[in-house]
Amino acid sequence: MDIQRRTLLAGIAGSVALVRPGFAAPASGEPVLVGVSGPLTGPNAQYGAQWKRGFDLALEEINAAGGIKGRPLQYVFEDSQSDPRQSVAVAQKFVADPKIIMELGDFASPASMAASPIYQRGKLVQFGFTNSHPDFTKGGDYMWSTSTNQADEQPRLADYVINKLGFKRPAVLYLNTDWGRVSKDVFTKSAKEIGVDVVAAEGYLPTEQDFRPTLLRVRDANPDVLVLLSYYADAALIARQAKDAGIKQTMVAGTSIYSPKMLELAGDAANGIYSFSAFFPEEPRPAVQEFVKKYKAKYGVDPDTFSAGAYDVMVLVAALAEQYGPTRAGMREGLEKIKDVPSVIYGKASFDPNTRRVPAASYKFLQIRDGKFTMWDGSKPSG
Amino acid sequence: MAFLEIRGLTRRFGGLTAVDAIDIDFAEGELLSIIGPNGAGKTTLFNLISGHDTPDAGSILFDGRPIAGLKPERLAALGMARTFQHGRVFANLSVRDNVLVGAHTRLSLVRRSVPVIGPVVELFAALLRPARVAAEEAALAAEVEGIVTLFGERLTPRLDQPAYSLSYANRRRVEIGRALALHPRLLLLDEPTAGMNETETAEMMEIIGRLKADGLSILLIEHKLDLVMRLSDRVIVMDDGEKIAEGLPEQVRNDPAVIEAYLGNRAVGGAA
Amino acid sequence: MSSWFDYTVNGLIIGNIYALLAVGLALIFGVSHLINFAHGSVYTVGAYVGWAAIRYLHTPLPATMLIVVAVCAGLGIAIERLGLRPLQGSARIAPLLATIGISFVLDQGLNLIFTPDPRALSSGLPNWRWQVGGGTIGIMDLLIGAIGIASAGVLFGFLRFSKLGWAVRATAQDRDAARQMGVDTDRVNRTVFAIASGLGGLSGMLVGMYYNHIDTAMSFNATLKGVVAQVIGGMGNVPGAIFGSLLLGLTESYGVALFGSSYRNLFAFVLLLAVLVLRPNGLFASARQTPPEPMTGTFIAPSRPVRVPAWALWAGFVAAALLPLVPDIAYILQTLTNGWLYAMLALSLTLVAGTVGQVSLGHAALLAIGGYASALLALDLGVPVPFAVLAAGFITAVVGTALVFPAFRLRGHYISIATLGIGEIVGLVILNWEGLTRGPIGVAGIPPLEAGGWELDSPRATYWVTLVVMAVLGLMQARLLRGHLGRTFRAIREDDIAARTYGISLNRYKGMAFAYGGFAAGISGGITAHMYSYINHETFTSQISVLALTMVILGGLGNLTGAIIGAVALISLPEMFRFAAEYRMLIYGFTLLLLIRFRPQGVLGTV
Repeated sequence: MDIQRRTLLAGIAGSVALVRPGFAAPASGEPVLVGVSGPLTGPNAQYGAQWKRGFDLALEEINAAGGIKGRPLQYVFEDSQSDPRQSVAVAQKFVADPKIIMELGDFASPASMAASPIYQRGKLVQFGFTNSHPDFTKGGDYMWSTSTNQADEQPRLADYVINKLGFKRPAVLYLNTDWGRVSKDVFTKSAKEIGVDVVAAEGYLPTEQDFRPTLLRVRDANPDVLVLLSYYADAALIARQAKDAGIKQTMVAGTSIYSPKMLELAGDAANGIYSFSAFFPEEPRPAVQEFVKKYKAKYGVDPDTFSAGAYDVMVLVAALAEQYGPTRAGMREGLEKIKDVPSVIYGKASFDPNTRRVPAASYKFLQIRDGKFTMWDGSKPSG
Repeated sequence: MAFLEIRGLTRRFGGLTAVDAIDIDFAEGELLSIIGPNGAGKTTLFNLISGHDTPDAGSILFDGRPIAGLKPERLAALGMARTFQHGRVFANLSVRDNVLVGAHTRLSLVRRSVPVIGPVVELFAALLRPARVAAEEAALAAEVEGIVTLFGERLTPRLDQPAYSLSYANRRRVEIGRALALHPRLLLLDEPTAGMNETETAEMMEIIGRLKADGLSILLIEHKLDLVMRLSDRVIVMDDGEKIAEGLPEQVRNDPAVIEAYLGNRAVGGAA
Repeated sequence: MSSWFDYTVNGLIIGNIYALLAVGLALIFGVSHLINFAHGSVYTVGAYVGWAAIRYLHTPLPATMLIVVAVCAGLGIAIERLGLRPLQGSARIAPLLATIGISFVLDQGLNLIFTPDPRALSSGLPNWRWQVGGGTIGIMDLLIGAIGIASAGVLFGFLRFSKLGWAVRATAQDRDAARQMGVDTDRVNRTVFAIASGLGGLSGMLVGMYYNHIDTAMSFNATLKGVVAQVIGGMGNVPGAIFGSLLLGLTESYGVALFGSSYRNLFAFVLLLAVLVLRPNGLFASARQTPPEPMTGTFIAPSRPVRVPAWALWAGFVAAALLPLVPDIAYILQTLTNGWLYAMLALSLTLVAGTVGQVSLGHAALLAIGGYASALLALDLGVPVPFAVLAAGFITAVVGTALVFPAFRLRGHYISIATLGIGEIVGLVILNWEGLTRGPIGVAGIPPLEAGGWELDSPRATYWVTLVVMAVLGLMQARLLRGHLGRTFRAIREDDIAARTYGISLNRYKGMAFAYGGFAAGISGGITAHMYSYINHETFTSQISVLALTMVILGGLGNLTGAIIGAVALISLPEMFRFAAEYRMLIYGFTLLLLIRFRPQGVLGTV
């Protein structure tokens, strides 16, 4: 018990600079509450489930180490199905509940952004940690996000594809949602700045399963590489069907395919795909190793970016509440001031008070080999 | 020129010729009955005249105007009203509303109407209900009560009941009331007494007689020969899609071809 | 170009998959005249049963297939016995709604048992592939094709040569006559549901193996594609369904070849509409068929509506208007605001589907048109919000009516399918017409509700605005229906042939109903856009169309008070079940099924 607690504490001391030294009694008393608006049912329910795992893991540590000034940190998860109609009702519920000091979510941009006016008016921080939509944080000064920013990520992807891997004729397959569309636009622009034109860009709908005709279109543009701006489930389908459609080109994917599920769903077809990710479990950084170890111990599977993001957010909440007081005003003020919060994804996260996002995440370059994500060895693909 | 002039009217279903080159001349104010065994093609003939079906060949002139292939709603506007063999009342509408629907083509909003603008005007008029529209509606409502009294006490107490709650005979009465509300120039009655008992049939016969006396032009399909013989000015007999006899009731009744057709068909139970 | 050969191969491969779904739907439609919206869910159940069998029992493929067919056939029998047979004799719309409810329960159940994570479903077959053109086909392609052909053959033999098959065909021809001739139609129904569901489950498993991917959200799309394929071939026509599926697959593949993947469904639904408009009975129906007489009461059973007295309505309105004076109930106010907004949609749909009998399954599109119209007018042209919303109402009336116009000649189920297709097309046009709608990025920063400089964006103000607008729309609709239009609309619903006989032009009055309905729905969409401040093509999903129809049926077709009650109830129930977290949609689904079971004509009844 004692040893366990010490390891936990060590983990937190390593990753969360919020625990006052010497104070290790488990939290008790009136809980500090954050509201979560996200999908537990409906088509996006898988992401809500992953959030929960990340939250729960973080809270276990935080509360074992004394919580927020001795009070336990807890969350209220209201299922919105990522449906704007329900996310606005949830928003009113949270705003009206004075015990809620901050809100996390929603998952999809239409649901988050529909609720933004309510949070803004209610002076409750809406922390859309998966909302990459460029207009999300423009909804008001209470809208903040740690979502990786496409304006930040795509130029690096372009650099990776063109400069590091040496491709000259990229074709892009992108998920035709706000996220995928912005990603594609920024990627195309960045590639052009480097001096390379995207030879084909094909959008597809989230419900798409049959990619063969799309891949044929891409094939006919004669690219030397396929860039996937996809989620892991789509990327897996594309990877499998590319082979069947007679496509032999290398594929490079953005950060969003990083998930153990990618390997499961794509099987052998995943091998050889290049990727990069802000979060990578094999990164030697202690915070990452600590998180992965505990996650695996608790859930028996590898964590993915969504649960890592959720874990990070809870850690951030605890740090904000600890340093700036567990009140709505404190959280809002803290987001502007807080510096270098330990983060599994970012290493250390600070916010740009103008964009209300976290700039410059560190990315790891990866390649899938033998059914595993591995660090890219720096060699250019042959042929 | 005849009021209704049919020439060579033909309708085939696959290999079956349901109506085979029929000619009919029908004068205004006449009551012409069409009789024949089941499956003779009488209802198909009605469907062709009333626009519910399109002929494969032949012509129909209504008051000098070719109408073959026109849609039923156009024919209604020209003053043609019909009832249906099995009765087609609007089940969930009250008796009053059923009859009022019959007067639809007479509504001023409907009668003079320009495409697109007409419906828009109609929509706003229904919403704002100016005095003129309200007055018209009130006048029609009064008229409906008048029409319904034609059937004595059968329908009057049931004016606001839904049609599905009526007896079979009463539904037929509602259908006829609905047809009269159109102020038809030509009325097509398809077996108006089907399913009625003797008293009810007698009542219906009297009503049809009165309509005829008022000068209404009526085309009647009927199985009850007794009724046909008493009411009709002329009778046409159909069998297997063809007209096999035509003439005054007395002539037809004694025509050997007619007797043969009836008996012959009866013997095989009537064609489908 | 050699690529066209590859596109053709791909089209046939995907058509092959649709065929497995369409055949089951066609069988059920042929016998019960029911579009089984639970079919996609059975398909998903089949996929998960297959996964569980392989995972826990380590069954080889043939055994897995047998298990899937058996379990899903049993499920089909249960659906028929518990969900549909009790509704025999009630309005035909009730079983349709029941299948929607069953689909809901099955999907939610799977979600709870298997979690919503996608899973890999491996066939365990060797990965043999053959070069065909520029691409390859694999063993799964052949297996799916073989099973498609084999099941069609077995089905053909069964229908043609077995005694039960005769009974099935007799029932499909004329249910009443078959029953009088001593055919046990319950047994026929059971058999058909068992066969169709067994086949549906098998196809779910095979498709899951084909993509090595199954998830609990795959039902709706499967139903959609299966329905489209079988309508193209002719509803209820089994060989037609197979041909329709292949044609659909080819059309989609060529469509993607021409314009890209985002246009795939656009091609699918345009094909659907073209077939519906040009050959309403499908490609295989004989050309001229007069509908059998009498056609009365397709959807509408005799009804004794509950009349809510006027004083009660006014009292309800006054109570609702006073509610915001209670302090600290912003959440309840927001929920009811959503309720009022959906009540406007339900009023619109109850006019179209209830009063005129044109059961629309694409009503969400009207919200989207209204939402975009109002948002873009206010943002791009600077139109003040109240005028933008009003203009959105008129724009939706015009655009909505024009879009549905080609479908006015359709009847019964076909109008539902056509409006479903039109709804999907509107969504896809919004996604792809970037110049106007900003595509997937959506429209952000929509100004909040205001009137003459007064901000109306507090929970109370929004509540009052939506309540008053909804009440005004409801009163207008009531007034509209008190005049001659009320009986004219209802006459069309009761018997369109008799209505035409009395000079009622169907196009004219359907057009008027869709115009008024479009107006009300457009206003609702417009207000919603300003309340949300952000909309994109996913804001108004086709699930909303189904929800709206559920509200209307629950309230009672054509029943204005019922529509409002239905809307408020169905918006509030999921909120009230929040205590149940992951289970709440399951509870909601069961509640729905119970309501349909015991009040198939709706809470207040058809007017």
